[in-house]
Amino acid sequence: MPEPLLQVRDLNVAFETSRGDVRPVRDVNLAIYPGQTLAVVGESGCGKSVTAMSILQLLPKPPAKYLSGQIFFQGRDLLQLGESEMRSIRGKDIAMIFQEPMTSLNPVYTIGDQIIEAVTLHQGKSGRAASTIAEAALADVGIADPARRLGEYPHQMSGGMRQRVMIAMALSCQPKLLIADEPTTALDVTIQAQILELLRKLQKERNMAIMLITHDLGVVAENADSVAVMYASRVVETATVEELFDHPVHPYTEGLFKSIPKLGADRHRLDTIPGTVPNPQRFPGGCKFHPRCHRMQGDQTCSSVEPNLREVKQKHWASCHRIDGYQTAAVTVPSISHKRQVTAGAATEVSA
Amino acid sequence: MTNAPSSSSSQQPGYEPAATPPQVTARRTLLQQTLRDTFTRPGARIGVVWITILATVGIFAPLLANSAPLLIKEKATGAISSPVLSTLRPSDITLAVIYVVTITLLLWKRFSLGQSIVMILAAGLLAFLPSFLLIKSQDAPVYERYRLNEAAGQYEWVVRTIVPFSPNDRVNDVSGTKLKSPSGRHWLGTSIFGEDVLSRMMYACRVALTIGLISTGIAVTIGIFVGGLMGYFAGVFDLLAMRCIEILEAIPRLILLLIITVFFGRSLYLMMTVIGLIGWTADARFIRAEFLRLRNLDFVAAAKALGLPLRSIIFKHMLPNGIAPVLVNASFSVAGAILLESTLSFLGLGLGAEDPSWGQLLNQARSGGTGFNWWIATFPGVAIFFTVFSYVLIGEAMRDALDPKLRKRE
Repeated sequence: MPEPLLQVRDLNVAFETSRGDVRPVRDVNLAIYPGQTLAVVGESGCGKSVTAMSILQLLPKPPAKYLSGQIFFQGRDLLQLGESEMRSIRGKDIAMIFQEPMTSLNPVYTIGDQIIEAVTLHQGKSGRAASTIAEAALADVGIADPARRLGEYPHQMSGGMRQRVMIAMALSCQPKLLIADEPTTALDVTIQAQILELLRKLQKERNMAIMLITHDLGVVAENADSVAVMYASRVVETATVEELFDHPVHPYTEGLFKSIPKLGADRHRLDTIPGTVPNPQRFPGGCKFHPRCHRMQGDQTCSSVEPNLREVKQKHWASCHRIDGYQTAAVTVPSISHKRQVTAGAATEVSA
Repeated sequence: MTNAPSSSSSQQPGYEPAATPPQVTARRTLLQQTLRDTFTRPGARIGVVWITILATVGIFAPLLANSAPLLIKEKATGAISSPVLSTLRPSDITLAVIYVVTITLLLWKRFSLGQSIVMILAAGLLAFLPSFLLIKSQDAPVYERYRLNEAAGQYEWVVRTIVPFSPNDRVNDVSGTKLKSPSGRHWLGTSIFGEDVLSRMMYACRVALTIGLISTGIAVTIGIFVGGLMGYFAGVFDLLAMRCIEILEAIPRLILLLIITVFFGRSLYLMMTVIGLIGWTADARFIRAEFLRLRNLDFVAAAKALGLPLRSIIFKHMLPNGIAPVLVNASFSVAGAILLESTLSFLGLGLGAEDPSWGQLLNQARSGGTGFNWWIATFPGVAIFFTVFSYVLIGEAMRDALDPKLRKRE
């Protein structure tokens, strides 16, 4: 079994605020293998983005502080590295693309200037050589007439084009891991499909790992190898994409699937999860999900004991007292090296 | 997979499709756009015209107002010579060369900004070195020499400068020239020492422009550096630096300048430095505010995620996006510095009698002892007014150009 490329172990992050610490990430465990796509799913504010930003240590300190945990990347704990070592990893080994392509490019420079700067920094190339690499990077992401596009400013491009440019910039230095923070949320559906297709193609060509942060289960079904579901700053369930979609065990994951319209099903009101996401400053005691949970039946365990992530089935971890066999399941470190065998489209019954 | 639609079908209206020849779409950055918007406004144009006139007059002052004639032909030998050249200093020649090169480049528009700056600097150096080596230090000039020679009939003909008096020419060869109101001989009258007011005002353009630009340059440089770090790092550093700024802002500028002139003597350079050193707080505030906004933007996060060094993030990626308000403020501080120098000179604590400045002339308007000398008060006063007004007009235009609500969509 290969070593994971990136392993997040028991990560705890806090934000200092005037009303005490807020903990956006609690005991998060994740593993990504080379060439694999891990989807991190959850509602806004569940800690997905903070986890991603923690990996690159892009959170401003203060207010952010890393309470405990390790982030192993190729055997090195990123949390122990100094700023200059971290800088040599950012962009070169781990790259990131952001949600908003409209604001992710600097408006005052041409896209060529911006790609070339990254290439010069990480590959030591300059002048014509860097320009050639930048041109190739644009061609790779399917931008027509790359030589001319290099001289254009971001405002001259559409959202989909800019996201392609962002991807080209992120991939120009051949990173081993790409963190994609909701890369398609701001784009319309046809462009979304193109961008995801492009990411899949580039991933295959370069054996690059992708950490795909999203709240779109359709995107997960079509792209992910393994999935981690986050709720209220914790990972509540993680499994391979097939296992998770076929046999979700956590009530939150179940609720998510029920709230998606299905093609061909009888039309009736969609199921929703009652209640709202709890405020991070006033998390409920016990299981964070229990006030919204349909399995909760006046039992004191749910509201007093916080469940941890246990391997309830082979390669399927979840944290819920009400799962059959949860009490006897082993507490192991989640690590799924699985890659999907099916092609995209097999899980289309849940596509949004 | 089809990726063509994203590159052609989702463009905004008005976008040139890829089929048209390249270079059709305007390639303007925010800064270029702002500058262009600024200088198409009539107010800013008036300001620019006035300041260009001042710069031209100031730089070519030795050729416009000089006691030495432009050309003479001596009767005895028949030789033609140009006495004006012998009065030029290396700085006069260097400035003139830089000015000519700059104007040429501005009108020609063939070279990039970087190339132009290099060429201007090279031209300045090329002009300065030979003139510095060739021109010997001159004795105290005898201003009336050529007038006396001409009166004695030594020259066949004489071509004089427009104003035939040097700024420090007290016209000792003619009696009763002090404090004369405007006449055909002295168009704007004479000062309390008998100097030609127009000549002094022309040379004073130099002081007025330099003091504004250099002190503002110092202020903007410090302000950008400190403000940038404050905004970027925020937190404790920001808190401490902000308190320092508040302390600095509590110092009354005029009084500080008065004290410094009293202790260290009169010097244009000292004055410029001090005005710059205490004037950066407003620029720092602006840059700080901009950086506090910019640091949360995605492209800054993206630059960090690319592993770019801090220097590049702050100065290359954030600064060009946040410098605009500082440019606006700078035009107002140039005006402020000119006023401050005039104030000091008016109080008699500015430059020495050898260095002409508008404020110093204003001072003479009341210190002549013979009541109110209107011509010495009016003309320099009007010059100060127009110059400050010009800078304010440019600043206003820049502010309007930067206001997104006022900016017209292209």
